[in-house]
Amino acid sequence: MRGSRPGSAIALVVLSLLVLGPASSALAQTDAGTDEKIVFDVGLTGDITSPNPFRACCTADYEMLWMNYDLLFNFANSDLSPEPAIAMSSEHSKDYMTWTFEIRDDAMWHDGQPLTAEDIVFTYQAIADYRLAFFKDYLPFNPTLSAPNPTTLVWESQEPTFAPTIPPWVPILPKHVWEEFTKVSDDPAEVKKAFKEYENFPAIGSGPFQLTEWEKGQSFTMEARRPYWGGDPVIDEVVFHIYENQEAMVQALKNGEIQFAEALKPTLFDALEGEANIQTHVAPAGCFSNLAFNFGGQGKTDTHDPAIEDLAVRDAVAQAIDKQAIVSSIWQGYAVPGDSVVRPQQELWYYDIPAEDEFTFDLDLAAQTLEDAGYVDGDNDGVREAPDGHPLQWEIVTLTDEAGSNDTGKLIEGWLEQIGIGVDLVPVSTTKAYVLWADGDFDAYVWGWCGDPDPDFILSLHTTGQCLGWSDGCYSNAEFDAMYEEQRTIFDREERRAFIVEMQEFLYRENPQIVLAYENDLQAFRTDRFEGYVPVPEPDGFYLFGWGADSYLSLHPIEGAPTTVEKPGLSAGVWIAIAAGVVVIVILVALMRRRGGEEQA
Amino acid sequence: MGSRKYLLRKTLHAIATLVFVLTFNFFLFRVMPSDPVQLYARSLHLTEEDKLELQHELGLDRPLPQQFVIYMADTVTGNFGTSIKTGLPATEMITDRLWPTVLLVGLSTILSTAFGLFIGIKGAWKRGSLFDTSSLFGSLVLYSMPEGWLGMILLIFFAGTLHWFPAGQYESSGAGFTGFAHFFDVLNHLFLPLLTLTLGYIGEYAIIMRSSLLETMGEDFVQTARAKGLQEKLVRRRHAVPNAILPTLTLVFYSFGYVLGGAIIVETVFSWPGIGLLEYKSIAELDYPVIQGVFLLFSLAVIVFNLAADVLYSYLDPRIREA
Repeated sequence: MRGSRPGSAIALVVLSLLVLGPASSALAQTDAGTDEKIVFDVGLTGDITSPNPFRACCTADYEMLWMNYDLLFNFANSDLSPEPAIAMSSEHSKDYMTWTFEIRDDAMWHDGQPLTAEDIVFTYQAIADYRLAFFKDYLPFNPTLSAPNPTTLVWESQEPTFAPTIPPWVPILPKHVWEEFTKVSDDPAEVKKAFKEYENFPAIGSGPFQLTEWEKGQSFTMEARRPYWGGDPVIDEVVFHIYENQEAMVQALKNGEIQFAEALKPTLFDALEGEANIQTHVAPAGCFSNLAFNFGGQGKTDTHDPAIEDLAVRDAVAQAIDKQAIVSSIWQGYAVPGDSVVRPQQELWYYDIPAEDEFTFDLDLAAQTLEDAGYVDGDNDGVREAPDGHPLQWEIVTLTDEAGSNDTGKLIEGWLEQIGIGVDLVPVSTTKAYVLWADGDFDAYVWGWCGDPDPDFILSLHTTGQCLGWSDGCYSNAEFDAMYEEQRTIFDREERRAFIVEMQEFLYRENPQIVLAYENDLQAFRTDRFEGYVPVPEPDGFYLFGWGADSYLSLHPIEGAPTTVEKPGLSAGVWIAIAAGVVVIVILVALMRRRGGEEQA
Repeated sequence: MGSRKYLLRKTLHAIATLVFVLTFNFFLFRVMPSDPVQLYARSLHLTEEDKLELQHELGLDRPLPQQFVIYMADTVTGNFGTSIKTGLPATEMITDRLWPTVLLVGLSTILSTAFGLFIGIKGAWKRGSLFDTSSLFGSLVLYSMPEGWLGMILLIFFAGTLHWFPAGQYESSGAGFTGFAHFFDVLNHLFLPLLTLTLGYIGEYAIIMRSSLLETMGEDFVQTARAKGLQEKLVRRRHAVPNAILPTLTLVFYSFGYVLGGAIIVETVFSWPGIGLLEYKSIAELDYPVIQGVFLLFSLAVIVFNLAADVLYSYLDPRIREA
């Protein structure tokens, strides 16, 4: 009976697991190969908020919208300037008050109905009239839209505008699906609510893919819709897998569960270097990180230090920040020290502040700047006092859920304390930070901004009117407000560019926020099954999660590569063997006990 | 008679706790310093007019007593309101997450209890043996090991290096598995988080069971049983273990109460779409309707299992009823 000891049975099961384990993926493959769909799997760390475009907030939402819907204009791969999409061409009246667009006649909704100018009129007018989500900002001056025929769109503005060429980042919605919500009530609030509450699933759009599955918190699936006016996609499905941490996402990439991993941390990104069948890609920054000041004006809860309003204080802070150190220690070199609020990626508009005009990192100079402006440490406690006697003691908010924010805050804290500005870091979640911003309960914060290729939005953040809107620090300067309004009336691109350079210089000198770094987007992808990534903008921009659906339209399986999906995991056979092994062990143990019992009895 | 009184007292106690939790749940989110409407003003880019609308939508513009009545009525009917973040019904968001959590945490509680009790009993009975010393050492190591770290190691080794198992998630989305293929797919995804959680809790059960049995082994009735000439096995099965298992059973029941709370860390490591993850995210996003729903469900589960433990205890140990 020695051979039937449970120990031997366990050893047998473990041995068979070890033998069958490595072979299991090959076995598992046979489970999957039931259909020949070409599925492209993408990993990211955040789910969509909702299929409803009016709830879009974050990376996943925007990517889904790019694929599911068409825009009036797309962004050119070469320089992100507007290029024909649903609108094939545009003309404007001399006074820039009336714009006329030729609308393509070959775009179709996912339910088979044709997309016409009427759909655009409906979408834009509803957004402008009911002030829906952030899309409304793209439709300024209470426009009136009309469609004299299915292929002509007319946009009449109350004021001269180049808004149509920014271009509006507004997904065009099917009138026949959404129109009913404008009829729910005469009360605009009710209509707005109906728009926001529509579940919009499956999402009917006119883009090359359609959102057809959503496993909340797990994945969402975009299915190819053919024919597409911009050329049919080759892949049949794009499945976005949501990972709660980047480490797991990287393991999934190595495991072949996903083909592409987005927005990696520098350490994980570096660890992928040299990994078989994986290529890494550094895309230029789509965003920047900043130290933004609070100028107050939010109301009675505002707690900002009035010393911040003194330009000398802001200059001293700028002199006390070592941007190169932030780039190398926080972003491990995957960033460029920042200067202008317009990013280098917005190449049509970016102005690289000349070296001689830039603040250089010099703690002694920074301390001297404060000294000269009358901020001295009279009581020798290490914190300077303003001329009116109050100490320069600041609360700097950092965001625990934003990469780099906390660590950057700690560096800044160290530098500022060396020049006699006391700092209390306030690490909070983004949601909590929104409350602090709305209340004005902070002195500065470390976060960042992204934005459109056109600089209008990023410049608008610094206007007085945006206080409690997009401007968290409520910076207010009449001269800049006037400049912002003026640039909206310059219709010649070169002329506008020259003026926008002036505005960038102005903001750099004024320092309402200090642009710390332009961080690269770190992407990684497998090279063994798919090829055809399109960088946007050229030549080294985002492969995915950038400015359009270009890569999804172009990606295709590499010739000769396996088309069936290979999922890691033990095969059914191995599981059954394990289960059988366990049952055998249990029976043996029971038998032995019984025998033992009989012997003793 | 005593038993009926005892049950009645325990049930009333449970109901009182539940009412307290309900009330607490209501006031907790109304006395928080952050106004839920203000929270969303920036992220959703709301105008003043939008804010008033949202306030109305959330019912926050009504008098407090009226809000309380509405809240109670909604809660009793299982309506926790609409998630501010996603616009989906909070109840639906929660029920979507129930099954993965019950599957993972429930199964791991069963497995870690079974293995833990077995190891604890065997170790205590043969105190000082090789099995005892090595299992005690192993239990202490597992008990003190951070489960997030253990999960990460298993993930990197079994998924990233050996490619035996998937790197997290509940299933292979988009692979189109159905029937048995789907069952084995979920099993493959379940394996690593289940192993992590089970290993993480075996130690606790083993140690408690062991010390409880050791204590009982020194009792007079065990000596008496031995003196009667009973076999060791029968002494263990009929006299020592049934008495020693009581404190552990209480722990087991409490653990089942916590099943619905999910396992935040393991669910995060393995991207397992459970209640724990939902809870964590809703708190980070201050999505009050969802937090309230999860919080209530969690409390309810703990109260119910506590009651069950009390009832079971009184059945297993008649001394309790008489007390």
